[in-house]
Amino acid sequence: MAEPALTVESGATPATAKGLPQWLRLLVYILTRAVTIVITSVVAVYLTIIVANMGGKVDEIRKAEIDFNVRQMAVADESLRHLSVAEYNRVVEARIQQEYERQGLNQNFWARSVRYLWKAITLDLGQAERLTSDSGSSWVRQIILERLFPTLLLFASAQLLIFFLGIFVALALSRRYGSWLDRTVIALAPTSAAPSWFYGIFLILFFAAMLRVFPFGGMVKAPPPTDRFEYALSVLKHLTLPVLAQVLSSVFHTIYSWRTFFLIYSSEDYVEMAKAKGLTSGQIERRYVLRPTLPTILTSFTLLLISLWTGAIVLETVFNWPGLGRLIYEAIQKYDTPVVVGTTVIYAYLLGLTVFLLDFLYALADPRVKVGSGGRRA
Amino acid sequence: MGNSETLLRVKDLKLHYRTARGLVQAVDGVSFELRRGETLAVIGESGCGKSSLAKAILRLLPRNVQTYTGEVWLNGANVMAYNEEKFRQEVRWVQMAMVPQAAMNSLNPVVRIGHQIAEALLVHNKGKMTKAEAMEKAAESFKWVGLPLDFLQRYPFELSGGMRQRAIIAMSLVTEPDLVVLDEPTSALDLSTQANVMNVLKRIKHELGTTFILITHDVGTASELADQVAVMYAGKMVECSPAETFYTNAAHPYSAALMASVPTLRMDKPLSFIPGQPPSLINPPTGCRFAQRCPKRFEMCEKEPPTVELENGQRVQCWLHAAAGEMRDAQ
Repeated sequence: MAEPALTVESGATPATAKGLPQWLRLLVYILTRAVTIVITSVVAVYLTIIVANMGGKVDEIRKAEIDFNVRQMAVADESLRHLSVAEYNRVVEARIQQEYERQGLNQNFWARSVRYLWKAITLDLGQAERLTSDSGSSWVRQIILERLFPTLLLFASAQLLIFFLGIFVALALSRRYGSWLDRTVIALAPTSAAPSWFYGIFLILFFAAMLRVFPFGGMVKAPPPTDRFEYALSVLKHLTLPVLAQVLSSVFHTIYSWRTFFLIYSSEDYVEMAKAKGLTSGQIERRYVLRPTLPTILTSFTLLLISLWTGAIVLETVFNWPGLGRLIYEAIQKYDTPVVVGTTVIYAYLLGLTVFLLDFLYALADPRVKVGSGGRRA
Repeated sequence: MGNSETLLRVKDLKLHYRTARGLVQAVDGVSFELRRGETLAVIGESGCGKSSLAKAILRLLPRNVQTYTGEVWLNGANVMAYNEEKFRQEVRWVQMAMVPQAAMNSLNPVVRIGHQIAEALLVHNKGKMTKAEAMEKAAESFKWVGLPLDFLQRYPFELSGGMRQRAIIAMSLVTEPDLVVLDEPTSALDLSTQANVMNVLKRIKHELGTTFILITHDVGTASELADQVAVMYAGKMVECSPAETFYTNAAHPYSAALMASVPTLRMDKPLSFIPGQPPSLINPPTGCRFAQRCPKRFEMCEKEPPTVELENGQRVQCWLHAAAGEMRDAQ
């Protein structure tokens, strides 16, 4: 009786499930994502180069500067006094052209911008115009490398804390949906409208100025402790307030939205099915609520990360944190174009890398994205 | 089927929901019995409380439950009296399993199907069964429903609707429960797939002797599997009769009207329909709930009709038969 049933149904396998083995589909997906992210980063860097040079307007400013300087020097030059007006103008013009050539200004800006782009993305960042690293080097690469670790330390710890805190509290609230705790968190969600540096100022005011339990800023106390353990302890103490500021600025909103995701996913039919199967509530929560919601959570977290990185500049400045954010702030203040471009490149790479990492985790969390391109949903 | 012991006895089961518009009396005092190995088909229009009856028996209650009372005797024990943990350990999927209405969404999208089937075994045989043994049993259940074994390693989205429905039937059978509640198991499927799934169910009924409660709005589908037919109307079970008498001679006027509206293959009868609409389950009318649409109503219908057991085994909630019975008694 069942034999005809079998043959009829077997032909109905979705076509996308056939063909490539699973690991290869995963690889194709990962590569596609990588290429997309690289293209995005390159576009971002190129736009920065154009903006930092004001679309070539900076060239005109520099040309005007050269004109002015050369003419000033020509007026002061005694050897030119005896020349006729025509001759004098010819010499000055030649000197100006020479100076243009020396600075590469005789070439078209757009042609040069492509060369800048290539240098930037291959991390051939050149020399800073004004800033130097703490060790005295003016190589942009050296300056950035010095600032990279503090930034990574600050943001990685804040982001990991927000992620795990968010998941656990959101799950707990979705269990106690409608309780006073749940309603309190929902009421607090709009506090995430304020950026992290805003909370930073208040935290400094309260914990550093009034209570004097945490330092005002910096990464380690001066002079830095020589003992390794004490050094780490001091860094931890300096890390607390900036991390807290970031957590405060995003955790309530994150919990609110993730709790809602959990609630939506807990009303799915398969959750009821799991209950009917007699699974324990812990098993249901882990396997039937958390696991299927994870891809959605990861997407929301990726968006959160982007906004956290963007807030870095002011936050690091407020906390006097020796990271990339403060570097870019200083560089902009001093019109140090190579440093601005260099830092932006590193930012683009960091952001691209985190997004790529999360995309990879997404592919592991959701078996559906491995099917074909574009992530077909059942 | 030779065994005629009573497996399930439901007595005065009530399930009422709180809503913004008022109290919904989805299941209002339903009683019936079911013998081991038999199939009870519960039919009725949508919104009559069929699925709520399934939920009440399985104790899968939404958050807004107001009243949940009555008795559910399963294998001689009143499982309504069990606390949640005891019910989970001893009843869920051990004595009672279900095949839900929306099989499409009833499988976890991110867990392989084989694991989802095996976990039902693992949770109820903690420490007594290895994962490999559970997977073996899952493979066996796949054979019962005629699914290829390599599908155990697939994710739900890689299966068609009919295959998913059969995977869920396999899941409901894997622990060999006494009772399986099928809540509209074929409603979401196209006709040829419906026939396939019904064939699978029929074979399982004959080979494994499983007891089914089949909830459906499709009178024709019900006839393929049913030994008894129960008709629900506005939260009440208005009739519960042996299948052969029901299909030839339904006792309740609503059942009769329902049967008259079903096309048959051999007879060339004009199809009729039931005028009006079923009453709202919020503040339903007092007395017989079908009275407003009933062609045979009379003054007694103002009052709550009694349940009358007729000689041929039909149980019906209707004054017509009560009156007839009284007359018969008087003679």
